Amino acid sequence: MSKITIPLGPQHPALKEPENFMLVLEGEQISGATVNLGYNHRGMEKAAEGRTYLQNLYLIERVCGICSHSHTTTYITNVEELAKCETPKRALAIRTLFAELERVHSHLLWLGVAGYEMGFETLFMYTWRDREQVLDCLEMLSGNRVHYSINTIGGVRRDITPEQKAGVVQRINYLIERTNYYIKLALEEPTVAARTANVGKLPLDVAIERGAVGPTARASGLARDVRKDEPYLIYNELDFKLITHNTNDVFGRLVVRALELVESYKMIKQVLNDLPEGPIAVKVPMRIAPGECVNHYEAPRGEDIHYLKSNGTDKPERLKVRAPTLANLQSVAYMLEGGWLADVPLVIAAIDPCMSCTDRAAVWNPKKGKTEVYSWEDLRKLSIEQYRKRGVDFTRL
Amino acid sequence: MKIIDKLITWSLLKSPWILHFNSGACNGCDIEIVDALTPKYDVERFGIVLKATPRHADVLVVSGPVTRQQAKRLRTIYEQMPEPKFVMAIGACGCSGGVFDGCYGVVPGGLGNVLPVSVYIPGCPVRPEAIIDGVVKMIQSVEAASK
Amino acid sequence: MSDFPREEKIKADIEAKFGGAVSNALVQRKNRVWLDVTTEKLPDLMAWLKANSFDHLATVTGFDEGENLGAYYHATDTKLIVTVKVKTPRANPSIPSILKTFPGALSYERELEDMLGIKIDGLPPGRRYPLAEDFPTDQYPLRKDWKTEDYLAQQAALNTEAK
Repeated sequence: MSKITIPLGPQHPALKEPENFMLVLEGEQISGATVNLGYNHRGMEKAAEGRTYLQNLYLIERVCGICSHSHTTTYITNVEELAKCETPKRALAIRTLFAELERVHSHLLWLGVAGYEMGFETLFMYTWRDREQVLDCLEMLSGNRVHYSINTIGGVRRDITPEQKAGVVQRINYLIERTNYYIKLALEEPTVAARTANVGKLPLDVAIERGAVGPTARASGLARDVRKDEPYLIYNELDFKLITHNTNDVFGRLVVRALELVESYKMIKQVLNDLPEGPIAVKVPMRIAPGECVNHYEAPRGEDIHYLKSNGTDKPERLKVRAPTLANLQSVAYMLEGGWLADVPLVIAAIDPCMSCTDRAAVWNPKKGKTEVYSWEDLRKLSIEQYRKRGVDFTRL
Repeated sequence: MKIIDKLITWSLLKSPWILHFNSGACNGCDIEIVDALTPKYDVERFGIVLKATPRHADVLVVSGPVTRQQAKRLRTIYEQMPEPKFVMAIGACGCSGGVFDGCYGVVPGGLGNVLPVSVYIPGCPVRPEAIIDGVVKMIQSVEAASK
Repeated sequence: MSDFPREEKIKADIEAKFGGAVSNALVQRKNRVWLDVTTEKLPDLMAWLKANSFDHLATVTGFDEGENLGAYYHATDTKLIVTVKVKTPRANPSIPSILKTFPGALSYERELEDMLGIKIDGLPPGRRYPLAEDFPTDQYPLRKDWKTEDYLAQQAALNTEAK
């Protein structure tokens, strides 16, 4: 069979950021894949050097809209470490609350996207409708649904009232019920299993080799989670399980994220029950003494790591951000190889890329002797059709 | 106006088909755009459908500051859309560059410097209600112009 | 300094194994060890770290130190982060690749080449990352003498033509 190379490039109807994959096909199977990035490069690290620490808070938040709190918290942890300030316990607890609320919103978002990629549109609509509950909580607590900016240097910007606490708990209880339904669905529904089992295999040793992080790595049995390994904020006081699975495939990633939702609900309730008294912020001087530090954080997608160097002025000397998806991308190339073209959208979506991939795939058909152009939507429809022929049909659900 | 133009305008007003393009955004606006399609806001009841190819779209919805890597592709996509076509700049980034103004990776000045924009919707990120409002205002202005 | 026994042990083991190539080794605080190493010994040190439970290379930070260009490799066993710093002269910057030990470091090494102009020996050919295809190949944004304003002024002329 002859080989065809397809570019799967930067335009994608079902969300997010642009990236490009070059897939070498033999018939329907992928024999090689390379990842090309750079479509989202804005020049933020350079810009950060010209802005004050407080201005950078708002810039760093916009590295990603889905895990904005992760980035600001890691950044602020670095700044506060260099400034040698004692962040009040109440502020740390509120940051933890937001971190877990963010994890909930992100995993529900992913469940919906995964459902959409499989052709299970009802799941997409259900999870996003339920996600509105979390967004309501976030808006109530911080003033905005996305980009909550709850952090400030030295603590948090806003406190929580008892009414808000009650409002959050009520919504979380509703979500616990709904999530139990999704877990049942993931574990018992054969159509879901047919689409996700044995797809996008990533064995444990490859996961370690290629530096995979987050649920992608945990689904391959790698028991790594920064919240347990190097507890930050108040995670050392919270009771929660580190979720891993051992099937190394998309199904595993689905299970890991669904079970992490349950753990997050537990943590949110614990934080709200035991919210420590005290101030929500301390004053920190504008100029930060020279020094350098590195800190990491468990964002919904995996380990997020920031390096910060200060030089005694009110602007940083160097700020480096490595978001989790970059660490997972090298694993994607491995996961695609040997798989079917029909599985491509789901495998890429399964690492929960904080990127949108919209592009056209140009497929050269040697039999017809001409190039046909498939958009991501066409590929998605192709994948759903192919699976339908094998008996996997979500429309019956 | 000829009958065919009237038909085209009528179908645009009744059911604008949109193409969403992320030109280097942080995803905040993108998830709010997708949110507008979900049950709480449900723009599909207004006839707004998300299409996957520019050749079927009436409105190009662009989020994010335009990164240099995306600028050429954005123009190509715009040129592939059939007339009449409109462009909506979603978010502070599209309006003026937003928080990325002054970064070397983005085209300065926001979307207006790359494409002719019909509607600017501010916000960081934009609320789904604001997106619906923007589409409605655009439809109203098309209606007024066609009379 | 027996507050941090694990950190002290790692530092001592590295110094014992790599002797003169390592300098400025420091236990900054709990779970943070920093040290400098020569560029020649970098691949060996990274391989040693991987074999001794530091099998995750979190990221590589490039930095313009003035006379030298630095690359800081942050390796972790997920609890402790060891940051290995190398320096290379600005006039002719070059660092050996560590892809044999850490294949996942591909993007990080390409970034050092693109953003700072450090040549990585042993990096396979491929598309640049993260800069745009049409970004000039002799300009390095993360260097301190590269100013965003100058670059934007250059581009302003091109942009009005393109529209």
